[in-house]
Amino acid sequence: MNDKVLSSPYPVLWQIQDVNHQVWVLQGRTLKAVPRKDHLVPVTVTLISCQHMETLEKDRGNPIYLGVKEPELCLFCTEVQGQPTLQLKEQNIMELYRQPQPMKPFLFYHDRSGRTSTFESVAFPGWFIASCSDGGCPLIITQDMGKAYTTDFGFTVLS
Amino acid sequence: MRDAQHHRGMLSLLLCVVSIALPRIIRADACKDVSVQDEMASVGQPTAFNCIYPLPMSGKVNVTWYKFPSKIPISKNIRSRIHQEQNWILFLPLKGEDSGIYECDINDTNICHRIQVNLTVFNKHWCVSGHSQLNVSDDFKQILYVGKDDSLICHLNFPNSFVLDSVKWYKDCKEIEGERFISREKRLLVKNVSAEDGGKYACQARLTHAGKQHTVLNSITVNIAEKVQNGGRIPKIIYPKNNSIEVRLGSALIVDCNITDTRDNTNARCWRVNDTLVDHYYNESKRIQEGIEDYTVFQEHIFYTVNITFLEVKMEDYGRPFTCHAGVSAAYFILKPPVPDFRAYLIGGLLALTGAAVSAVCVYNIFKIDIVLWYRSAFRSPGTVEDGKLYDAYVLYPKPQRESQSHDVDTLVLKILPEVLERQCGYKLFIFGRDEFPGQAVVSVIDENIKLCRRLIVIIVPEALSFDLLRNMSEEQITVYNALIQDGIKVILIELEKVEDYTALPESIQYIRQKHGAVQWSGDFTEQSQCAKTKFWKKVRYRMPPRRWPPSPPVQLLQHTPCDLTASSREASVGVLTP
Repeated sequence: MNDKVLSSPYPVLWQIQDVNHQVWVLQGRTLKAVPRKDHLVPVTVTLISCQHMETLEKDRGNPIYLGVKEPELCLFCTEVQGQPTLQLKEQNIMELYRQPQPMKPFLFYHDRSGRTSTFESVAFPGWFIASCSDGGCPLIITQDMGKAYTTDFGFTVLS
Repeated sequence: MRDAQHHRGMLSLLLCVVSIALPRIIRADACKDVSVQDEMASVGQPTAFNCIYPLPMSGKVNVTWYKFPSKIPISKNIRSRIHQEQNWILFLPLKGEDSGIYECDINDTNICHRIQVNLTVFNKHWCVSGHSQLNVSDDFKQILYVGKDDSLICHLNFPNSFVLDSVKWYKDCKEIEGERFISREKRLLVKNVSAEDGGKYACQARLTHAGKQHTVLNSITVNIAEKVQNGGRIPKIIYPKNNSIEVRLGSALIVDCNITDTRDNTNARCWRVNDTLVDHYYNESKRIQEGIEDYTVFQEHIFYTVNITFLEVKMEDYGRPFTCHAGVSAAYFILKPPVPDFRAYLIGGLLALTGAAVSAVCVYNIFKIDIVLWYRSAFRSPGTVEDGKLYDAYVLYPKPQRESQSHDVDTLVLKILPEVLERQCGYKLFIFGRDEFPGQAVVSVIDENIKLCRRLIVIIVPEALSFDLLRNMSEEQITVYNALIQDGIKVILIELEKVEDYTALPESIQYIRQKHGAVQWSGDFTEQSQCAKTKFWKKVRYRMPPRRWPPSPPVQLLQHTPCDLTASSREASVGVLTP
């Protein structure tokens, strides 16, 4: 048990990569998936499960809040020009966690399939967080599970 | 021709230019800066950057690329080495002089956003001996998971107008061959990845654009990762275990829920009561709260701890399950009031019993005589005893030479003993010299009568002469002999005075004394000593057999026991008792 490396009263910290060897990075206020390189610093993702499972759909995955550690931002989904869109908002993730009701725009169903995971918007069911497979483009939410986007991501717990 | 250049190996190290730190000049159109991205690329490579605004735009979007600080847009002529096409800026190929800041302005109907690209161009050497590796490189980093089929990707970030012709893969400067490797479009599939698959890779892609062929070479550093244990999605609750916890009413309590879960699981963990989160159930009082979650990351799993805090345990908490949830797993504990400690009670009870028994024994030892006497008087056996005995005691006494002693002995034997034992207590005594029939032979009197007695009372006078006398008396010899050989007759020794030297006594007397003890005469010869309730007489009465001969009813007996009896009444009583 000497491999204890981390102990924190805060959400678990992760790095997220997609199946195309791309990692999530923060550029300005934009999250992007870019090819992993030496000089590249992946964004540290904060993740905490929502406890209000009973008010949410079952069997779609674990409802979770996703955020960025520095600066303190949270991922949320909202309609822009009539289209569901993924955005970042200045928000403490633990405040969301402590809300008496589930904060649906900030919630994603985390579903696992083998080694990869998908993140489906709770506010817009059927819309998944996606990165474009050629890299360099911002993370979006999409209904299109085709070739142009990948919705499969892998987790790495920071330790 | 460009790729031929790459194949030959590269030029000397030449890291060109850096970003230009000039103050920004605000343009007339005043576009809003959205993001700045740093890019590195190597000389000779076809390179492209896309300008994408992260949010949907309202209508037709016009994207224009500039090289800072120039206000002249980048050429749109596809023949130009650097030109813009759709939202892209293309360097076909990149040269060292291209380092600098590039900006794209995204013009929506009434809003302008600007994205900045900070480009650093450097010279890269691929597979040329004698050139050390650069501190910084644009090498891609990719991971293969050991023991599985996995893939590498050749990142080609170009507009759709570029057509991919072929991709060649290299490892350690040699083209990759073998059944385990399959090149498919931009991917290299690697079957059954092993630790040896890590190392320096390169992919060389041929692309055709506007009738011209371009070659891209990407260096990829491949690391091998351990097989990730797909440990299942069901978290394990280590504690509680549907157990009960003893807790006193009103006390505070903290209970941890300990959970292990796989590293990539995102199960929620919480405490619930009545299927409601405790924090919400006790929203008003906050008497019971969920604690802050703590976690520790291990190689294979994460160990989570989340506690539940009772500020004060109340009656309503007993018997109610408090459940820890982790994903689909759940386990509860139930509070119950502490059970009294049976062991303590048992030990206490035993101690009390022992104490009571010891005290009872002590009390009995101290008041033994009184208790026995009380018992005899309270539960007297009615009727005569059918043991064939006629007398309760045979009184044996010496005849001292000295006048005073002789008088004392006579007073005791002939006056006080009958007074107390016969008249007051109702015993029947055989006193030699009083009760034998005249003319009887001494020996036969003793022999016959002692068999009719239940006790033998021997009076001892501590005087050598009297001992001698006693010793010589045939009466004494016979009596003692009978007392010793006849089992069942008990001897009551009454010492008239304190005996200083027991060894001076006859051995038979010594033996009797050792066996039965002796009673020391403590009174004088006044009437006060003739009371059955004095200590001395109690001792004697204790040694006497239980009185079963009822000469008179108990009420009458009580009348017989006062200690200030008058001489007349005594005489009358004696008259009754004396045969």
